[in-house]
Amino acid sequence: MKKLEEKRKVGLFQAVMIGLGGAIGIEIFVLLNYATYLAGSTIVFALLVCGVINLLTMLSFSELGAAIPEVGGEYSYAKAALGGFLAFLTGWFRWISNVFGAALAALGFAYNILFFIQVDIPLLTPLIASIIIIVITVLSVRGVGQIGPVIVIAFIAFFILLIVGGFLHGLEFSFSYPSTFAGASGVFATVAYTFTMFLGMRAIAAGGPEIKDPGKNIPRAVMISAVVLIVLYCGIAYVTVSVLPLDKIEGSYTPLTLAAEQIFGEAGAIILTVAAIVAALSSLSTAIMVQSSIVRGLSRDGYLPKFFLSPHSRFKTPHITIIFGSIFYILFAATGVVEVIGYVAGFASILGFALVNLALIRLRTKSPYLKRPFKIPLYPYIPIAGFIISISLLFFIERSALLLGLIFILLGVLTYHLRMIGYQRIRIAFGGMSLGIGGFMALFAYLLATGYLLPISVPSQFSTTVSYGFIVICAISILAGVLNVTAKSER
Amino acid sequence: MISSMKGRKLLIGFIGVTQEAIGVLTIVFCYVLYYNLFDVLNWLNIAAEHVALYVLILSVFGFVFIISGFFLIRELLE
Repeated sequence: MKKLEEKRKVGLFQAVMIGLGGAIGIEIFVLLNYATYLAGSTIVFALLVCGVINLLTMLSFSELGAAIPEVGGEYSYAKAALGGFLAFLTGWFRWISNVFGAALAALGFAYNILFFIQVDIPLLTPLIASIIIIVITVLSVRGVGQIGPVIVIAFIAFFILLIVGGFLHGLEFSFSYPSTFAGASGVFATVAYTFTMFLGMRAIAAGGPEIKDPGKNIPRAVMISAVVLIVLYCGIAYVTVSVLPLDKIEGSYTPLTLAAEQIFGEAGAIILTVAAIVAALSSLSTAIMVQSSIVRGLSRDGYLPKFFLSPHSRFKTPHITIIFGSIFYILFAATGVVEVIGYVAGFASILGFALVNLALIRLRTKSPYLKRPFKIPLYPYIPIAGFIISISLLFFIERSALLLGLIFILLGVLTYHLRMIGYQRIRIAFGGMSLGIGGFMALFAYLLATGYLLPISVPSQFSTTVSYGFIVICAISILAGVLNVTAKSER
Repeated sequence: MISSMKGRKLLIGFIGVTQEAIGVLTIVFCYVLYYNLFDVLNWLNIAAEHVALYVLILSVFGFVFIISGFFLIRELLE
């Protein structure tokens, strides 16, 4: 206990900086255009709602972070409170959220670098995304992760300058909506879409074990960070929709740069673009490292294969998990579709948040005497509200993104159950399938050779050759089946 | 005993690599079929409305072959 107290060196100011540093990233730079398409001028209200919803769950994060001082964030909390499948799912959602977050950051970088290099974007995006991974992997490995306090303050200064400059420039705010505006559901869709803008605040909870007087400082840091972010983001959105027409915001992946150009001229645009590039690189670096640590955590607990744990022989870095996650995020970044990527990142985060609230309720009943330096006020109403609101937001997510998210969940469920079944049984199952295909091929070859009617017709001069081909495939398939089924258990 | 193990290893290597190759070629064929490259639909007399079904069956077949081949190659490398 004394040791834990000695570890507590982070004061309130630093805790707030940790929260802001975790939250300020590329999201505000790239998500604003589609958010405006969904909500029009009510984006300001949508961001306010989003901030408040995030705050509810951040309080749950804070209680859990202070009570369970372990690395791993929500996965550790879910493991302690829920265990088994739900803990795996929590880790899986966080992995999805980070992979899509990395894709979003790569796209943000690509779209902002276009300010300096004029190239056709469909060609440039995948190329830049691929280059980024090489550079960032090296940087990440060397420990360039979250942005430090100096850069956090610089970002806040940029944002305040943009807001104040906007007001001095003379704002003409009027309620305007896109033709596709869907009323309240459009606003909630925006909340779901911009959800990732605030969730980096959970870094405060992760730093819980190091925060001095956590009972007081954690809730204060969460509240202050949330208020600062809400004021900044709402202010930026207000200024942007006031200085630019809606169609201009919707048509650009760098609306803040356009707003800065409108207010301060070209110098403003250059400064904001550089800030966006720094934010993109920082977000990308953090997301890659976090997804890597989640995969290693899941692997350590036996949910994923152990080879993910092997470090690089020379650099001692988790290169396999970095490459594994990078393959996915490069693929998604290469699509160039910010909207779907943003939604899926939000989808996974929302589900993760719902499970964190559930973990808090479960832990309160499961371990009532666990030492909790900070206890959430108005229990159980706040976690219940956090859970219900999070789940409700899922109904407003765009269908294609929802489908993609559900496919990833299905993959997660499959991965979990396959690991539980065990390698040998899966191998026998595939051996059986090979035998089945072999039998099917034999029948197919026989029907083709005897001239029976088949759903395809092969030109007569090739039918003998094709049926021999099928016989060869049949033999290979049956042999493979036998070899897989008769393989000795290795464990 | 040693020679039988060596024989199994050889067989596993050959069958594993061949199965992987067939699996990959099947997936490539799915692509050719889906986009009707080289007028393959006409050549095989496949109706356009049945393409999705063929692609589904062939891709399942291809992935089973790839995974089954992977198990064999993994045993070989151990």
